[in-house]
Order: sequence, then structure tokens, then C-alpha cells
Amino acid sequence: MLTALNNDLKPFEDLITKFSREELKPHVEVHDRYPFGNLDAGIIESGFHKIYDLGFLGIMLPEKYAGIGQGISTLCMMLGHVAEVDASYSLIIFTSALSQEIILNAQVGGIAEKIYPKAKDAKEYLVAFPSFTDPGQSKILPEALSSGKGYTLTGKLDYLVLGSFSKWAVIPARTPSSKGYSFFLVNLNDKGVTKSDPVFSLGLHACPIIDISLNGVSARIIGEEGEGERYFGAASKIMHAAAAAINAGIMRGSLKEAIEYTKEREQGGRPVVNWSEVRMLLADMAIKSKAADLCVTQTCRAIDENLEDWGRISIAAALHVHDLACEVVTDGVQLLGGNGYMKDYGQEKRYRDARQVQALLGLVPLRKLALIKEIIE
Amino acid sequence: MLKRSKVKSYIAKFPRFENESLSLYYAPRMPKAMIRETEEAVALARKFNDEVARPLSLELDRKTHENPDYLPVELVKKANEWGFYTMWIPKLFGGKGFNLPSISYFLEEVGSVCVGIANVIGVHYLGMAACMMLSNTRIIKKVMSDVVEGEKTGEPCLISYCITEPAAGTDVEEVDLEAKGRLGCSARKVAGGYVLNGSKIFISNGHFSTWNVVYAYADLKKGVDTKVALMVKRGMKGFSLGTHENKMGQRVCPASVLNFEDCFVPDELVAMDPDIIKSFTKKTPRDVNMQHIDYVFSISRAGVGAFGIGAARGAFEAALKYANETEIDGKPMVTYEWVQCRLAEMYANVRLGRLAYTEANLANQHRGAYNLLQMKPIYYYLRYLPASYFKKVIAPLLDKPIATWILSKWYIDWQKPKDQQLTTGLASMAKFSCTDLGVRNCQMALELMGKAGLRQDSGAEKIIRDAKLLQIYEGTNQLNRINLFKSIVAPACPKATFFEE
Ligand SMILES: Cc1cc2nc3c(=O)[nH]c(=O)nc-3n(C[C@H](O)[C@H](O)[C@H](O)COP(=O)(O)OP(=O)(O)OC[C@H]3O[C@@H](n4cnc5c(N)ncnc54)[C@H](O)[C@@H]3O)c2cc1C
Repeated sequence: MLTALNNDLKPFEDLITKFSREELKPHVEVHDRYPFGNLDAGIIESGFHKIYDLGFLGIMLPEKYAGIGQGISTLCMMLGHVAEVDASYSLIIFTSALSQEIILNAQVGGIAEKIYPKAKDAKEYLVAFPSFTDPGQSKILPEALSSGKGYTLTGKLDYLVLGSFSKWAVIPARTPSSKGYSFFLVNLNDKGVTKSDPVFSLGLHACPIIDISLNGVSARIIGEEGEGERYFGAASKIMHAAAAAINAGIMRGSLKEAIEYTKEREQGGRPVVNWSEVRMLLADMAIKSKAADLCVTQTCRAIDENLEDWGRISIAAALHVHDLACEVVTDGVQLLGGNGYMKDYGQEKRYRDARQVQALLGLVPLRKLALIKEIIE
Repeated sequence: MLKRSKVKSYIAKFPRFENESLSLYYAPRMPKAMIRETEEAVALARKFNDEVARPLSLELDRKTHENPDYLPVELVKKANEWGFYTMWIPKLFGGKGFNLPSISYFLEEVGSVCVGIANVIGVHYLGMAACMMLSNTRIIKKVMSDVVEGEKTGEPCLISYCITEPAAGTDVEEVDLEAKGRLGCSARKVAGGYVLNGSKIFISNGHFSTWNVVYAYADLKKGVDTKVALMVKRGMKGFSLGTHENKMGQRVCPASVLNFEDCFVPDELVAMDPDIIKSFTKKTPRDVNMQHIDYVFSISRAGVGAFGIGAARGAFEAALKYANETEIDGKPMVTYEWVQCRLAEMYANVRLGRLAYTEANLANQHRGAYNLLQMKPIYYYLRYLPASYFKKVIAPLLDKPIATWILSKWYIDWQKPKDQQLTTGLASMAKFSCTDLGVRNCQMALELMGKAGLRQDSGAEKIIRDAKLLQIYEGTNQLNRINLFKSIVAPACPKATFFEE
């Protein structure tokens, strides 16, 4: 839908659909087995390198920092297409964009210059971030101590997306002198960093997440001390739309598979799609999926046109899309009957992935309360 | 204010008040001992949860992800050691004879820790119900005594119920659909028995079970009128196990493929076929077939309702624990109204669901399959007579054709269709409502817990994987809605037809 409204996106769309079809689709089931099975991290990671080679890890990053300098519409269109096939890879692109947004919002060109143009590969370009965390909601964050020329970080951080892969991470931590938290750039290869095995989670298995503990790891502050919340607020405002785009993509995938299956599968002597209750479920899915597409498209427009309350639109749209997505993927499994529950089909993965996506950027109820606070005050 | 005759006439109108509020009428009739027995079942479940289920649940889930071929045989052995596979077998057949409704509470309890583990226990009773409701006392006795023996020897003997085929899922749960479905399992009549060919899929516990209740069709084109129910034992020639599925959840309970290739089943293991039906009733095989399906599912769907509420409770308990341990803006989460309201709603879902499956059980007790066992005199007679009495006096009678004849008459001919409709309708209602509530609570828990709920080691994410199956098996929740309408609402809709749109 985004491309229909904006022809400039066409070349990107062609590229991403080809990539998803050729590089991701054949491996979805195998990649979903990560971190188990015979699959080693290398196979998963080769996909990350391909995404990097195609430039998908720097969609909104300005060209001067070796990005491709596109807007939120391009990012959302791409995330959606990838999510239709395997949302794990959307999380990779999402996390890369989110850490970039934090760095850009802190207006620290120096850091962006240090990382992106110099990156030799995906490991150096793709900056890890705890994408499921709103650091302001976390009681426990690492502690940062100033050591004259820099900072050292100590403490634990859970659920760091891509922490096992990336060289760099943007890490939230508290300093003794500020009320608010701050963000720091950390080299994850530092010997003071201890990494857990990948955390076995509900969904998005091909994008590894780990817990880390830091022991006196030297770190560079991103922007100003105590201003983390402001940077996160600004970054997440736009990234809510991106999270919504992922779930809108998952919904399209779920609807498509449900329609294809119910047309083929026969019960009671006819294709099940011909039972009116099956059609009703499909209709509900289609309505929700179309509504989600609209939410994403219009949010992108609001952002592109810099509408006064685009931030509220973005968070409201995202919360709504996530709700719809969790319903759609549940019916998506249902319409395939017993097969929907099996890993040979795509629906059970979508059922898990959509809920994992819903949890991006912090607790749902707190996001709701934050939204209404902004509207009221 | 109203004459008694008037009262009676008003409450008999649709919707008939007695049918609408079974607990009002039937709870007072409950034998006291049944309540104590139920308490014991719940207590046993709690002890089992502490000692076995809780320590194993996440570990086994993880193991089956590491190796999808892994079968948790040790879990089945444990359940067997604890006596769970004979607990609800009537004393008449050598079991411990716990009252059948108590299994729902038990399954909810175990299900609140792990729905998969509850299924490994509960689905055996789906097999038992199917075997019992076929009403052949000689076969029931044989199979149940194997189960009892399996408990003694420590080699579990489980029963599976095998009706689903690759091309027929919903179709085998409803005769009107079965009549038009593409059926694949054939049973060819030969001298001394049947020859079975075809496959069954998605059979819960298939890889663990010793006995299988298998439906097949003497004429695949007229399957619904030529259905044959066969007891197939593991190891019989021509019967082999295929793969088991790689499922999203309930991974401790295998869903197996069963293959039959010229598998000869002798007459003594034929539990039902059109000739047998003819020997005790004038009803058509198709009607008896539907009656049988209704009986089995009236029992098992109440049980699936209990699984659903188990999941709802597991999710509630995970959310409660999280809310108790977490602070928001320096204050305990449980001090916020929005948290309290969500937790209250989740709790209410559990209680409401329990009421739904309790009603379904009351229907089974007083209008359905349990009515024989739960009549007060019979209940106490069975409860207090020593096991040796059943062994010496009753057991030999069970081998006599007259016993089978009486049981078949009782269940097939003498039951009132209206009672059976109420029973199957309420079981369907419990099944789809409780399982929908289960998934709903899981969703609420995940939203409340955020990333903490996504980690497998938190337990919450597993519940939402486990719970989804409950909306699918034992008839999809769509079929169960239709069945509720057909059985209970349709009398108010003279123009309604079914599966003919
Ligand atoms: C893990 C697992 C364990 C199981 N255990 C057992 C077992 O122990 N024994 C056993 O025999 N079976 C078992 N089953 C099978 C289960 O009962 C079936 O999967 C279920 O009945 C649905 O059948 P199906 O999968 O063929 O779906 P289908 O019947 O193909 O249904 C596909 C979709 O179409 C819808 N649909 C179909 N017909 C209609 C209609 N007429 N009107 C409206 N909607 C319709 C369904 O609701 C569903 O959404 C198990 C299944 C699973 C997944």
C-alpha cells in the first residue's frame, strides 16, 4: 500500500521482495529452530551479512554516515515485506534503525562517523540495542562511572537484541550524578563483557537475543548525561510506526496463508473456504489486516508531513495494530486446523512472532498510559 | 403468588429453566463422598505439581526443542507410578474408581502448571471413554485390566483415540459431514475379523499407547453408515507408528501418525460394527455413530475445558507473580488500579470457565454418560465394596454377552435424545468458552509482563503456545459453536438446517 501511494519506493520494494523470496523464504523453518538444532550461528549470521550488503541496515541513516538516507515510509515498507516472510529479519533491521535513531537524536555525529562509514561488515555496522526495553521502565540498569576521559559500565542488562553478533551496542545506564539514565556506546568485544547463550524466547528466533553483564567496561557517552529518556522518547516515537509495520506484514502473511489453505482443504465435501463461518473468520482477518495497513500508511504520511501530533498517531497506531495482529494470527492458526499448529506451516510461527513484536519498546499498558498522559496534559 | 402448576408450565417453556441451571438442581444431589474424593484428586494434583510437573515442565519443553524426536517416556512412567492411569477407571473394571467429574478439577490443577503434562494424563481417559462408550464389556474389561496390570508392572499401558485422518478432521466429528467427507481408513470384512488399511494422524500419546480405539469404514464411499470401531494393540502385525509432529506447544505429548497395512483385527477386538448395532437396536448405524461421538466428546470436551482453565490459571498465576515482584516508578505494580483490574479480570475468567465445565459435568452426571455410575446407590455400592468382590463376583459377568447387551441398551436405546443434546451442547460450550478464555488470559499475561513474559524460562510464553491447541482439537471451536447451536439453541429455530448451506 505504501508503494502504491509513493512511487519512489518501487525500486526498494522490488529489491526487498526479491531478497525475501530468494534468500529468506527457503530457510524460514530451519532458521526458526535457532538456537537449537544443527544450525550454528554462522548460518543465521550469513543472512545478516546479506542484509548489510544490500544496504537494509541503514535505511534511515543519512548518506553522509554511509546510510541510504530514506524516510520512515521506506523503512516501514521494507519491514513489512520482510515480515510477511520471516519477521525475525525485520527485528534485525528494526534494531539497527533504532540504535541509529538514538545516536542521531543525541546529535552525536562523532559516534555515527566512528561506526558506520568505517564498518567493514555487518558485525561492525549493526549496533545492538535492547529493543524490547523502555529503559525508563527498568528498575535495574547498569551503573556508569565517569573516569575522567570516559565512563566505565558495571552491572547487568537483559534481553539485548543482537548482542551475540554485533561489535557495538547502545546501552542504557545510570550515572550517580543524574536523575535520568544515559546511553553509552560499548564495544561488546571488551573483555569486561560477559554474554549469555541466546535466550530461548517465544518468537523471532532467527534474531538472537542475549543477557549481558558488564564489569568495568569502558564506554563512550551518547549525547548528554541524564538525557537518555529524551533520546529514547524521540527515537521510539518514530520506531513505533516501524514496529506496527512489522506486525502489519505478519498479518498479511497470515491472511494469505489462511486463504490459500482454506481454498485447498476440503471438509464436508467442499473446500472449507465455502463454509460461511470460515469466510467470516477470513473476513475478520482481512478487515484487521487492511486496517493495519492503513494505520501504517497514514502514520508514515503524518510523519513525512510532520503533522503536529505525529508522535501520538504513531504510538496509537502501533498499539492498535499490535492488538489486531495478535487476533489475526490466532485465527490464522485456527483456519488451518491441526496443521496450523505444526511447524511445517507458517502460521504457528506468526502466532508467536506477532506477540513478540507487540512487546517491542516496552510494556504495552505503560505505553498506553504514556499516550493518554501526553494527550491529557 | 403462582399456583404450582403454573410455575411448572412457565419453567418448562424454552429455555427450560432446569436445563439452564443444572447446578441449582443437581449440586444438592451430589453424594458427599464425591466431594471428598474430588478434594483428594486436587490435593494429589498439587503434590504431583510440586514434585514432578513443575520441576520438569520447562526442562522437557526445552529438551523437545533441542531434539524434536525426543519422547519424554520418563514422564509417562512417573504418571503411571503415581497411579494416574487407573485413578478414573471404574472399580467395576479394576480401577480406583474416582468419580469421573473429579478428573476435570485434577486436569485444571495439573494444567495450571503444564497443559502438555495434563494432556499426557488426560488424553488416556479420552481413549478410555471411547472404549467404554462402545459398551462391549468384555473388551472394556480386557483393555482396562491391561492398564491396571501396567500400573503394577511399571510398564504404562495407555489408550489412544484414533479418528482423525489426513483428509478428514472436522468431518469425523459430525456424521453429516462424515457422509460427504473423503475418508481413508478402510476395514474389509474377512472371515474372523477385519483387515484394516490406511492412516490416522495427530493421535495424542500415539507413541506411548498400548491400545488404540480406531475408527475405520467397511465401505469408504458410505463410510458414515459402515463405520467399524476396532481395538488395535501395539505390536499387532500390519500396525506401525509413523512420525510424530513438530508442534508449537504441548510438546511433551506426541501427536502421532499411525499406519495400518493389511492389519488383521480379530472379531474379539471388534467393538462396534453395523451387525453388532443391529443386534441390540433398531436405530440406524449412522444415528448410533453420532450418539457414540456425542458421548465421547461430552466427556472429553469438559476435560478440554478444564485444560483451558488450567492454561487461564497458569497465565493468571504467572502475571500475579510478576506483578508482585515488580515495581513501576518506585511503587509495587500491584498498587496500581489498572493492574488490579486486569488481574481481577483474569481471575474472573478462571472462575467463569470453571462454572462452564462444571455445568457440562453435571449434565454428564445426571443426563449423560456418568448417570449410571453416579446414581447415589450405585455410587456408594461401587465405592464401599471391596475390590475382591468385583474380581470374584462381577468380573466374570462382564465377559457374558448379556452384560454388553445391557450396557449397549442403556447407552444407545434407553437414553433420551433430549438429554444427550443438552449434554453434548454444554460440553461444546465449555470446550470453546474455556479454551478461548485460556488464550485470552495468556494474551493478557504477556501484555502485562512485556519482555519478561517472552522468555521460555519465565514459563509464561509456553502457556500461550500450549493453549492454542485447545481451540483446535476435540473439534475446532467453530465446530463446537455449531454443535452448541444445533443441540441447545436450534429448538428455537424451526427453520434451521445444519451443514447444508
Ligand atoms: C496436537 C493435536 C492432537 C490431536 N489429538 C487427536 C487425537 O488424539 N485423536 C484424534 O482422533 N484426533 C486428534 N487430533 C485431531 C483434531 O481433533 C483435529 O485436528 C481437529 O478436529 C480439526 O481437524 P483438522 O485439523 O483436519 O482441521 P479441518 O477440519 O481441516 O479444519 C480447517 C478449518 O476449517 C474449519 N472448518 C472445517 N469444516 C467446517 C465447517 N463445516 N464449518 C465451519 N468451519 C469448518 C475448521 O474450524 C478449521 O478452522 C489432534 C490434533 C492436534 C493438532
